[in-house]
Amino acid sequence: MSRESRVESGKMGRISYARILPNEDLVQAVEKLCLVAEFKNAFVRGALGSLVDASMEHRDGQITHIKGPAIEIVSIAGEVRTLSDGSVKADLTGVVSDTEGNTFGGYFVAGGNPICMTLEITLEEWLPQ
Amino acid sequence: MGSYKENETRPRTLAHPGRYNPVRIQQMTSRAGRHIRLSLLPGVSIYDGLVLPLADLGIQYASTTILGGIFSELEYCVAPPDPKGGALIAYSAPLKAGLSQFIFGNATLGTSIKGKPMVHCHAVIRTESGQVKGGHILTETAIVTQQPITVLVTSIDEFSIRQAFDLETNIPLFQPMRGNEDV
Repeated sequence: MSRESRVESGKMGRISYARILPNEDLVQAVEKLCLVAEFKNAFVRGALGSLVDASMEHRDGQITHIKGPAIEIVSIAGEVRTLSDGSVKADLTGVVSDTEGNTFGGYFVAGGNPICMTLEITLEEWLPQ
Repeated sequence: MGSYKENETRPRTLAHPGRYNPVRIQQMTSRAGRHIRLSLLPGVSIYDGLVLPLADLGIQYASTTILGGIFSELEYCVAPPDPKGGALIAYSAPLKAGLSQFIFGNATLGTSIKGKPMVHCHAVIRTESGQVKGGHILTETAIVTQQPITVLVTSIDEFSIRQAFDLETNIPLFQPMRGNEDV
């Protein structure tokens, strides 16, 4: 068995598309969306929208705060997993842009990214074998 | 009181002009989506390159990921506060990026309030002047240059994504709908 990576085989399941309304937190809203859609695990297939302000964490733990409004979400990749304690956790990374189009990247901090006007998001359910 | 100081790092809750909607997540689920690898061909806009071939496949609604490529022309908007005050935010006038490298973007395919195909796209680009910028891409004027650009499409088949006027934010927005009713 390879020691270079850990493999989880599975298949894609249902599709959930949502509009998340203003002032909901990006990361926690994605977690709640999985509860609504009854997805235990999911991948982000696409997302775009805007934030009031943005908080992005870097590998050294530092957090960059980007002041809006609005901060545009211009890319997101991520997944949602159900943990052993039954909680649902979204890990989202991506790029945002400010009101002059300047870009910032990092991990989206849970609780630090309130949605401004809307978030359009498509999740695809992941069904591990 | 409180652990936040005047550095404004605490998440802010903004008040929109319309009445607060108690339903904060409007969602619909379909049993599966079709996946399509599509190529935007040289000389074609993002809008035409998505809408026309997907319509041929019977797809009106989709979530897409646009991979990297070069556009001979590209315009984008940023989202500052609405100077007229009708909503909290309004898109700026289009900014010309010129010959641009498209780094990554997502686009949602739905229908407009008038019932026509509509593509909402946000992306990161490298402009002709070398700046890395992000924003709302004008898909009808973004023209692919010599090399095709790959798009991964996930179709939405069991409900629709339609632009509808949103009372809370006071602007039209994409919302999932089944039949003539929103969620």
